[in-house]
Amino acid sequence: MRRPRNWSRALLLIWMGLVFVFLFLPILVVIIYSFNGGRNLYVWTEFSTRWYWVAVHNPRVVNALIVSLQAATISCAIAVCLGVPAGIALARRKGMWSPPFMVLLFIILGTPELVSAIGQMIWLDRIGLYDGLLRLAVGHSLFNLAVVILIVRARAEGLGEALEDAAADLGAVPWRAFMQITLPLMLPAVLASVLLSFILSFDDVIISLFVQRPGTSTLPIQILSSFKPGLKGDVAAIVVITLGVTLAGMLVAALMLRRSDKRGKFLGGALN
Amino acid sequence: MRIRIPRFSMAIPAMAWWAAFFIAPLGAIIYFSFGIKPSDPGAGVVDLTSLSFSNYIAATSEVYLTVFQITMRTAGLGTLACALVGFPVAYVLARHITTRWQPILLFLLVLPFWISFLLRTFAWRIILAPEGVLSHALQDIGLLSGPLSMLDTNSAVQLGIIYNYLPLMVLPMFVALDKIDPALIRGSMDLGAGPVRTFLSITLPLALPGILGGMVLTFILASGDYVVPAILGGAKGLMIGNLVATQILAAQNLPMGSAMAVILILMICGIVLSMLMLLMAFRWLLRTIAGPAVDARALSVAVAAETRERT
Repeated sequence: MRRPRNWSRALLLIWMGLVFVFLFLPILVVIIYSFNGGRNLYVWTEFSTRWYWVAVHNPRVVNALIVSLQAATISCAIAVCLGVPAGIALARRKGMWSPPFMVLLFIILGTPELVSAIGQMIWLDRIGLYDGLLRLAVGHSLFNLAVVILIVRARAEGLGEALEDAAADLGAVPWRAFMQITLPLMLPAVLASVLLSFILSFDDVIISLFVQRPGTSTLPIQILSSFKPGLKGDVAAIVVITLGVTLAGMLVAALMLRRSDKRGKFLGGALN
Repeated sequence: MRIRIPRFSMAIPAMAWWAAFFIAPLGAIIYFSFGIKPSDPGAGVVDLTSLSFSNYIAATSEVYLTVFQITMRTAGLGTLACALVGFPVAYVLARHITTRWQPILLFLLVLPFWISFLLRTFAWRIILAPEGVLSHALQDIGLLSGPLSMLDTNSAVQLGIIYNYLPLMVLPMFVALDKIDPALIRGSMDLGAGPVRTFLSITLPLALPGILGGMVLTFILASGDYVVPAILGGAKGLMIGNLVATQILAAQNLPMGSAMAVILILMICGIVLSMLMLLMAFRWLLRTIAGPAVDARALSVAVAAETRERT
């Protein structure tokens, strides 16, 4: 095999480097400006950590953070409870039903969030679901469910059925084989999908904006509403704090996935 | 003894959930789009006594059509830019990076997704500010004569869209490129095709589904975007998402907003379909330019046969 010429390789690597700089520049800016002591987030005045102190003492920000965490937890639970069996079924119980099901799944992934959000708002009002937290959780769960199903299906297909067949040969009834073999094998996929759907829900703007009720604003909605009167350092500080927590979570997930999966399968596997 | 249960029984809860909270709401949007906003505010959000196309007629008036047009152009250009900027990155990740670094770089690529999308977009306001560092730097080196005036225009929205959807475009392209068997490339080279021809007749056709998937995904998301234009676009950079949101959240005109949402979906469907057709044409063009001599499938058979002989 001829080695690719070095200059083209170097050019490509430089290009990739530039793209990564482009992707990370705004994140760096947020981190740096969260230490901006000025009254206005955009105008740098002096280094200070005062906005961190302000942020954790602002009841509205803290409340929004709590709402975000609660909504993410519930929507995550819904998505995982419904998505794991469906994902396994897609890999193990294929049939006439699977192609239309996949079409529905891709329609859900492909529908603009805005359209889905409007539909949610109309529908949840219609059926009389007025609990702010539940509305957020239900709204976020639809897209997350699709993501969970894709991840679990990719894992179940990657593993093959040999172990379950062996369990059946050794006399395990299907239920027992499912509980003792299939589910534990799915654990990494379940963890990955828990993380992903939690974060998708945590970061969601559009669905939250439409389905929210007074008093249950999520953190992104809080940030968005403080945009008009002028953004202050406290939102940047709270985002940097959540970033730290997220990174820690991602690290744990990455380590777990590395143990259990081959390279590049984290999101790549789900997109196959 | 096995009890016969339907094969899809484990998927029933998911289906029921989607039916109740996705399909039903979609139906509600379509239904509502034919109603009118009641003149009496106490009468609820929508009057469905006489269904008509009046919202659709209003939503296709010139003012709105212009915004629809701008939206499609911004999303289309953004998608194209993401593909052009992202393809080399996906290519490097799949080809020129060792397996040791690959997962780390992939992790870095998706990392921005895990940081508040809103704040990342706000950060561009700091970067692009007329009195900001970038503006001063560009003026100092003489690239700009006055302060940077990109904020609150369509070009800032364009930049924000490229920024937000770039990783989403790279991932499917990477998956497609990564799946290509290196033996095919080697085989093509062995058979005498140069790097350019190998790229055009092996790599690109095999990666096309991934490129296409990424473009469709990016386009759909970008054309329904609300946040980026709301933050970076100001009054001059509006997209259709902002108009829909205004209709519903500010003007309380649910039927009108619903009709606009339906039009948005129809437009996206139309454009995605024509994109598909365009790419089919592109594939055909590639085949004619590169010639049928190096057919990827025939090649893979040849490579497989050769490996078998060797072992």
